[in-house]
Amino acid sequence: MTRNVAFGQYYPTGSVIHRLDPRTKLFAGVVFIVCAFLASSYWAYLICYAFLFSVVLLSKIPPLQVLKTVKAVLAIVVVSVLINLFFYDEGTVLFSWWKIKITDGGLLYAGKMVLRIMFLVLSTSMITLTSTPTELTDGLEKIMTPLKYLRFPVHDVAIIMSIALRFIPTLMEETDKIIMAQKARGASFDHGGIVARAKAMLPILIPLFVSAFRRADELALALDARCYNATEARTKMKVLRFTWADLTAFLVLTACLTITALIYAGVIPL
Amino acid sequence: MHIFKKNGIISIMKILNAENVSYAYKSEEGETLAVRNVSLSIEQGEFVVLLGHNGCGKSTLAKLLNGLLLPTEGTVSVYGTPTTDPKKIYEIRSKVGMVFQNPDNQTVASIIEDDIAFGPENLGVNGEEISRRVEEALEAVGMLAYRKGTPFKLSGGQKQRIAIASVLAMHPDVLILDESTAMLDPCGRQEVLDTVRHLNREKNMAVLLITHYMDEALSADRILVMEQGEIVRMGSPKEIFGDINLIKECKLELPISCKIGYALSQNGFLTDTCLTDEELVEAVCRLS
Repeated sequence: MTRNVAFGQYYPTGSVIHRLDPRTKLFAGVVFIVCAFLASSYWAYLICYAFLFSVVLLSKIPPLQVLKTVKAVLAIVVVSVLINLFFYDEGTVLFSWWKIKITDGGLLYAGKMVLRIMFLVLSTSMITLTSTPTELTDGLEKIMTPLKYLRFPVHDVAIIMSIALRFIPTLMEETDKIIMAQKARGASFDHGGIVARAKAMLPILIPLFVSAFRRADELALALDARCYNATEARTKMKVLRFTWADLTAFLVLTACLTITALIYAGVIPL
Repeated sequence: MHIFKKNGIISIMKILNAENVSYAYKSEEGETLAVRNVSLSIEQGEFVVLLGHNGCGKSTLAKLLNGLLLPTEGTVSVYGTPTTDPKKIYEIRSKVGMVFQNPDNQTVASIIEDDIAFGPENLGVNGEEISRRVEEALEAVGMLAYRKGTPFKLSGGQKQRIAIASVLAMHPDVLILDESTAMLDPCGRQEVLDTVRHLNREKNMAVLLITHYMDEALSADRILVMEQGEIVRMGSPKEIFGDINLIKECKLELPISCKIGYALSQNGFLTDTCLTDEELVEAVCRLS
């Protein structure tokens, strides 16, 4: 598992979607999230999913690969379906037992909930599947550029993000090692109640923090040795370019957002 | 570029020069002198090895040489510019590239080419030139095929070669390796050493290799031996490894070939000091 987080979920195919400017993809992320919350009818979801499906096709990533990302939130989906089924009591009762009633309204609502959560996860995964962490931080840095005038350290924040992402796999590996070392000395992490388990985590967390600080110290030296902060006029190897493909993507995204919003507002009666 | 003609005599200019440098760490209990009165210089294309056991001040000295630490006394200068000049410090650091011990703690990006680009990006080199430098640096350490990959999946030796490439992209004139092989397995160590020797021979890169492995010093042009913050001896590998008392005094361990050679000469079989395995084999073969 540690091996997979290194790249985020990046799945390189070199498609049009991969080559889009990360800023466009970040905008797409916002649009997707707003759409997921605005979509109020099954028709709206049909449009959203059709759009998402065409993005998946364009990205040349195998659809099954994309679907795998839902696995992580499967538990949330199941819980939210059950809650909605049991506690939504409008509409005709289809089934009742003791205090539990399942209504057709509840069934419909639960269905929408599943579609909503799945859409959220699938669409945001499409962004991380098609762009590297560096691209995303570069994109964020560009978007935040205006904040420079408010003396906000935009570039430092971008570097902090990229280093944080870079160190996730390293620290996960380290955690594994510490857990094994403590187990070898007889520590147990899966017995006892919540309090006992939480206490058992301490011997893992403390060495992990100590080592993280030590790493930070060495990294700071390495940053200095590589002339970090040498000049205000820092350059970039990959200059972000806004292309026609980006413009098209922007227009399509805006259209998708508008249609969903119009359905939500009841202007389009679907 | 750094060869000067003075009164008709061509002299190679020193890249790096340290004169009577001392450094003291300050703490609540007072000052601890980690480096005492050290003078050394590194010339173009030289391969210098700095030997010393743990805690003798090797790493402190290394950090003094590119201005990560500033000397308490004395001066360190790079092409004549002292490291105490705050305006020139980044120029100095780009000329004196430094590779550290733990490869995991010196990569900043999740993708190899982005990590290599970090140095030149800081220096304000333009995009196309950076891209060329990244390719050139990866080529020099033999890792070009991994350009788009992630450092996380590499072996220790490969990670350290990436760290070397990321320094090379700043176009340094001297490469300081501060115990860069200490955390590697024997194969990784060999990989890194081969890379460094290749850079030294083919690209005429001056190298200061800091280590406590004696065998890494065998092919050096010059060896410096450090003990309790001082450079106690300077000389060719033959001079250093031939002086068994010095080696013992500095708590160093002779390479196995030297040990056997020494034992044989003690018993009157050999007359010369043998450094490498090959020399030893040859000398032993000549016996009969």
